[in-house]
Amino acid sequence: MPFTVLNSRMVEARIAPGTRMFSQRGAMLAYRGEVSFTPNIQGGQGGIGSMIGRRIAGEATPLMTVEGSGTVMFGHGGHHVHVVDLTGETLYVEADRLLAFDGSLQQGTMFMGSQGGVMGMVRGQVTGQGLFTTTLKGHGAAAVMAHGGVIELPITPQRPVHVDPQAYVAHRGEVRNKLSTALGWRDMVGRGSGEAFQLELSGQGTVYVQASEEKL
Amino acid sequence: MTGPVVHDVQTLPADDNVNPYAFSVDLNGQWFLQKGKMIAYYGRIDFHGIGHGHLDRLIAGSFHSPLHAADWVVAEGQGKMLLADRAFDVNSYDLDEGNLTIRSGNLLAFQPSLSLKQSIIPGFLTLIGTGKFVAASNGPVVFVEPPVRVDPQALVGWADCPSPCHHYDHQYLRGFLGGLRAHTGIGGASGEEHQFEFVGAGTVLLQSTEQLMPELATGTVPDEAGVPGGGGHAQQSGSQLPQLPGNLGGLQRRFGL
Repeated sequence: MPFTVLNSRMVEARIAPGTRMFSQRGAMLAYRGEVSFTPNIQGGQGGIGSMIGRRIAGEATPLMTVEGSGTVMFGHGGHHVHVVDLTGETLYVEADRLLAFDGSLQQGTMFMGSQGGVMGMVRGQVTGQGLFTTTLKGHGAAAVMAHGGVIELPITPQRPVHVDPQAYVAHRGEVRNKLSTALGWRDMVGRGSGEAFQLELSGQGTVYVQASEEKL
Repeated sequence: MTGPVVHDVQTLPADDNVNPYAFSVDLNGQWFLQKGKMIAYYGRIDFHGIGHGHLDRLIAGSFHSPLHAADWVVAEGQGKMLLADRAFDVNSYDLDEGNLTIRSGNLLAFQPSLSLKQSIIPGFLTLIGTGKFVAASNGPVVFVEPPVRVDPQALVGWADCPSPCHHYDHQYLRGFLGGLRAHTGIGGASGEEHQFEFVGAGTVLLQSTEQLMPELATGTVPDEAGVPGGGGHAQQSGSQLPQLPGNLGGLQRRFGL
């Protein structure tokens, strides 16, 4: 595991020669050894094709490649950091929440509208996440940022989890998500509870929820 | 979980943190204190501005920074004093015949057994001697040992090691692609071209984010909702003319200027 948690807002990553890591630009706080930070035009892995895909999807966050040998400390904006270890599963997360991740993870972009059809698109609009999300797949670890601490909630086929769209951080595993609405006449006259939209996650996996409704 | 903990003068910790954001000083004598960082106190405590009064000897002994004299006061008396700074993380540190240099905005208070000097690095203060001081940081503080290179904004201070130097990393601007990047600006910058490099023996203090604690003008009443007297010097008329001093500003308006 390349990440060591230093405190709630900082992680330390070990960079071995020959491996590389991607991180958000400007998120390095300190480093030891000979490490170089190269701004990454493509915004991650893959060639020009992936870059164009990310640009169109709005998932192009300025990233930098971290290479060399040594240890690097990451932290950004005072946000809480949560390390997710992946062993073959896929992590679905917004690109701007990614603080750093292993170069061994496969980065991709996914169209969220394919889950849930029209409702999936509405979901993207309501949560402000847009229609696309970034996927990380393979073996490795990713450091994810959240406003406030992160709570892991397990999802099992018998127990779907409902999450406030603003507090949703990421999820992993075989999870279907859809937007469930509880719109009533009260919402129509502007006396709603403020919880009309919820994200319903069902299947097998984990959802990460932040202890705040504030977006990054 | 029970309800909120209610402290009184006995249960407040002595020279320890109440919670991560507030520190309680068991005052019996004198402490130096940055203006505006005291949030409450029990007991009989007087706050004297630096530069006048009967504290000349104390100040001559432990305050050697005329540049910052206006930002500091001396708390004198007996009681418990609570220190905090805008809900930033607060910690106390003990120095034992040591020296520590710290960003001037981050230092909240120190015991007079320490002496405060201006660092030759602008914006930093050096504490020398034995005693306790209280400092704030944006996020918990992490201690690292040199050799290390740190983000300039994440640096809080350093102890015992020689002063840092600048380190510029432009390696990625070499080669063909790098040349293209340098000449056209396409591809952007990594934001990590510049670090402070520490070598030698000592300890470097880092805060958990690269966001500096914003400098707050000490001693002034902030212009906020609910703060009486805040924003007293707000321009009332839309006129571009310089206002007359005192209450004569109204006269100008009356004459249609």
